[in-house]
Amino acid sequence: MDDPSQNQTHNHINGNGDWPHTMNQIFNEDESHFKSNAILPWDQFSNWIHCACVVTFDLELGQAMELIYPGHIKLTDKEKMNICYLSFPDSNSGCMGDTQFHFRIRQCPGKRPLSRSHSQYNKDCPVSLQLDDAHYYGFVYFRQTKDRTVRRGYFQKSVVLITKLPCVALFNQVISIIAPEYFDNGEPSLEAACHDIDQWPSPVPGDTLNLPIMGTVLQVRVPCRSDKLIGSVQSKSETLHSLPVHTVLPSLHEVDIYSAFLSILPHVQLLWELVLIGEPIVVMASSPTTTCLTVQALVNMIAPLKFCSDFRPYFTIHDSEFKEYTTKTQAPPPVILGVTNPFFAKTLQHWPHIIRIGDMGSIGGSPKLSNKVKKAAALKTLDSNPGVYTRYKSFLTKDKMILKRLMKGAQLKRPVEAQNAILRRHLLELTQSFMIPLERYMASLMPLQRNISPYKGPPKLRPFDSEKFLESVEHSGPQLTSGIKGDWESLYRRFFRSPNFEGWYHQRQREVNQKLQILHLEALSNANLSEWIADKEEVEIVDLILKIKDKLSFAMHHHHIVGKESVSRLQKQLEDIVLTLPHDLQSVIKT
Amino acid sequence: MSSTRTVIGAVPSDRVITKFSQAFHPDATPYQKVNFHPKVKAACQENRTGRVGLKITKAVLVGDVSIGKTCMVNRFCHDVFEREYKATIGVDFEVEKFSVLSIPVTLQVWDTAGQERFKCIAASYYRGAQVVIVAFDLTDQPSLHHVTKWMEDACANADEPIKFLVGTKKDLLSPASYAEVEKLAVKYAKRLEAEFWATSSKTGENVQDFFFRVMCLAFDCALLRELDTEKPASKQIGNDLIHIQRSQSDLYEKKKRGPKCCT
Repeated sequence: MDDPSQNQTHNHINGNGDWPHTMNQIFNEDESHFKSNAILPWDQFSNWIHCACVVTFDLELGQAMELIYPGHIKLTDKEKMNICYLSFPDSNSGCMGDTQFHFRIRQCPGKRPLSRSHSQYNKDCPVSLQLDDAHYYGFVYFRQTKDRTVRRGYFQKSVVLITKLPCVALFNQVISIIAPEYFDNGEPSLEAACHDIDQWPSPVPGDTLNLPIMGTVLQVRVPCRSDKLIGSVQSKSETLHSLPVHTVLPSLHEVDIYSAFLSILPHVQLLWELVLIGEPIVVMASSPTTTCLTVQALVNMIAPLKFCSDFRPYFTIHDSEFKEYTTKTQAPPPVILGVTNPFFAKTLQHWPHIIRIGDMGSIGGSPKLSNKVKKAAALKTLDSNPGVYTRYKSFLTKDKMILKRLMKGAQLKRPVEAQNAILRRHLLELTQSFMIPLERYMASLMPLQRNISPYKGPPKLRPFDSEKFLESVEHSGPQLTSGIKGDWESLYRRFFRSPNFEGWYHQRQREVNQKLQILHLEALSNANLSEWIADKEEVEIVDLILKIKDKLSFAMHHHHIVGKESVSRLQKQLEDIVLTLPHDLQSVIKT
Repeated sequence: MSSTRTVIGAVPSDRVITKFSQAFHPDATPYQKVNFHPKVKAACQENRTGRVGLKITKAVLVGDVSIGKTCMVNRFCHDVFEREYKATIGVDFEVEKFSVLSIPVTLQVWDTAGQERFKCIAASYYRGAQVVIVAFDLTDQPSLHHVTKWMEDACANADEPIKFLVGTKKDLLSPASYAEVEKLAVKYAKRLEAEFWATSSKTGENVQDFFFRVMCLAFDCALLRELDTEKPASKQIGNDLIHIQRSQSDLYEKKKRGPKCCT
C-alpha cells in the first residue's frame, strides 16, 4: 500500500538538512499545528536543546560527526571539531561499556543573542542557573564494546545533546534514556526522542514541569529566583496540584557534591575559598565522569552566587582553547578545568591548585581521607594520590564540626542524599554569611526615595567603596551569622578582584538602576506636569518630552516589571504636553 | 502545548466521572463490569485511596498509518477535528485530568506513529502501559487485518493491560455497510480479548464515551490492585531526601496495612 505519510513527513524533517524549504511551507505548518502555541515546529525543542549529535570513530578521520538532528541546525566546523573530540574519552584508560559525562564549549562566532524564551528564563531563574549566550553544554553518552565486524575490533560511538541550559541533572537523565535506545534502534529513536522534547513545555522558572520522553514522564521543578533557599523546597499545595508521574527528578541541576568531594572532604572549605575568589583550579582524574562531577560540584559550591569565570567539566588537548589555557608565558587564567589525559600533569604543573580524584569506586565505604594539603611541587614526582595540591593558605579557620558530622554520617552509613543535604546547607550558609554584609552595604548605596524628582534625571546608585565596606565589616560582618573565625577582610579583598565579584556587582547595579528608573517613571507619571511647563521655555518643554519618550521606550522593553497604569498615565501626560506646543513643532515631535 | 495546559489546576467539569461508563457493545467486551467494585466505592467514599489519587493511567494508542489515531485524541483532548493529514513523528503525548468518584486521576495518552520506520522504537513507549488501544479504519479492511499484530506487539511490553479495539471514521459508512464491518470487527475483538468501539472523530460520536470507559475500567482496576497489594507507585531517582509524592491519605493507608486481610 502506498504510504501517504511519506510526503508529509518530509515537511517536518529532512535528514539531508535542507529544511525548511520555503517560508510558505513554514506558515502552512504553523496553521495546521493548531495544538501548539509554538510559532514554528522545533520552537519548543530549541527552548531546551540546540541539537542532538552522533559522533563515531572513523578509521581514516578519527572522531567524526555522523549525524546532527534536527537536520536544519548548523554548527560551525570549529564547534563540530570540539564536539567530536570532547565526546570521546581522552585517555587510554579503556572506558569499556557505557560512560556518561558532559562538557562545555565556546560558541562561535562569539555571542549570538538569546531567544525570547531564553531571555525570559534568564530573568526569573536563579543567577547561578542562567544560560549564557557564549557557551554550549554537551551531554555525552559514550559506548565502547568489542565488535569483531569492525576493523579496529571495537564499536565506539557517542550520542550527544548540545544545549545552552545548565540543567546538568536533567540532561544526564535524558541522555541516559535516549542513547541506549539509539544504540539499539538507530535513527528513528533519536527522531522520536527529539519529537518528544518538541512537546515539552517551556522552562519557566517556578513551574513544575512534566516532560514526556520515550514512554515515560520526568517531573522536575524549575527553580525560581524568588525561591527561599533554606527551608522547604516546594510548598505543599503546589505538590498536590502537580501531575503524578513515573519519575520525579529532585533537581534540575544539582549534582552529588558529597560523592564528588568524598576523597578530599577535609579541604572542602579551602576549595570554597578558591572557587569564591576565582583561582585557577585543575581537576585530574582517570575518567571524564569523575572530572565533570567534581568540576560541576566546585562551580555549584558558591550558589546562589554565580560562578562567573569559564569552567570546563571535561577538557582535552584537542580543545580549541588548549593553547590559550595552558600557556606558560602568562599566569594561569581564572578557570576550572577537568582533565583525564596524563599529559596534563606536566602541561599544567605550574598551576597553583590541583585536585586529584582517585577512582570513584569506593563510594559508600568509609572514605580514606588525605588530610594534608600537599605542596603543588610534589606533583612533579607524578604523585597520583588523591588530594589537593596547593600552596594556598586559607583565610578562614577550618570548621571541624561539619567534617565531624559528615564523617560520623559516613560511619553510620547515612544515605548519600542526607550527606549531600548537610554539605550543601553548610556551603550555602557559608556563602550567605559572606554575601549578606555585601548585600546590606549595596542597599545602603541606594539613593533615598525623596531624592527622586520628576523634574531631574533619575538618581544613580552611589559608587561601591571597598574601604568603606570593609569598615562596616568590623561591626556587622560575617561574624554575625557564621561561627567561622579568620581573616574575612583579606578574603573580601581577594574576592573584589575576582570575576565573581564583578559579575555580582554588575547584576546588582543593573537591578538597582532598573528599580530607580521605575520609581522615576512613576514619579513622572504622577507629577503635575502641565503646571510645571506653564512658565517654561519651549526648549525645556521639548527636553521634557524627549525624556518622557525615553522613559516610555524603557517601559516597552521592561513591560513585565513596569506598572501598566503608570505607563498609560505617562502616555496621557505626553499627549497633553505635546498639545501645548505650536502646530509646526507638534508635527516635528510626532515623527 | 497540551502538556503546558494540564500542568496545574483543577479538573474541568467535563472530566468528572460519577457513574460507571458502559461498554459500547455488550456482546463485544471481556469486561463485564457494570459498576465500580464495592471495595473501590467504599475506598473512595472514605478517602482511603492511597496513592491512586496521585496515580496515572498510561494508555498507548496504536494502529496502521493514517487511520485517524491522532484525530481521535485531538477530538477528545481539544474538541477539534483537523481535515489535513499530518503524520505523527515518533509519538505524540497528551495528558487529561479526570475526577473519578471525586478522586483526581490522570490519563496519559501516548499516540504512536503508524509508520513502519518507527516500529523499532515502539517497545520503549509501550512499556508499562495499563491500557492498550488498537485502532483501525472502519472503511479500510486491511487496517483491521493488522490489529492482531499491533495488539501482540503492544501487549508484549505492557503490564496485563486493559485492551480496546476501536474502529474510526464511522461517519463515512452507511448504516448497512457499518453493520457488515461491525460483525467482522466484533469477531476480531473477541479473538483479541478486547472491548470493541466504533467512533467518528469528525462528528465526535462515541469519542468521549470511549475515553470515559477507558478511565472507569482503568481506575477500578488500578484501585482494586492497590487495595489488594502494596505496590510502589513511583520510583524516586537522584539525590534528594524529599519524597514529595507522599500524601496524607497515604500515611493513613500505611497504618491500615499489615497482615493482609480479606474483606
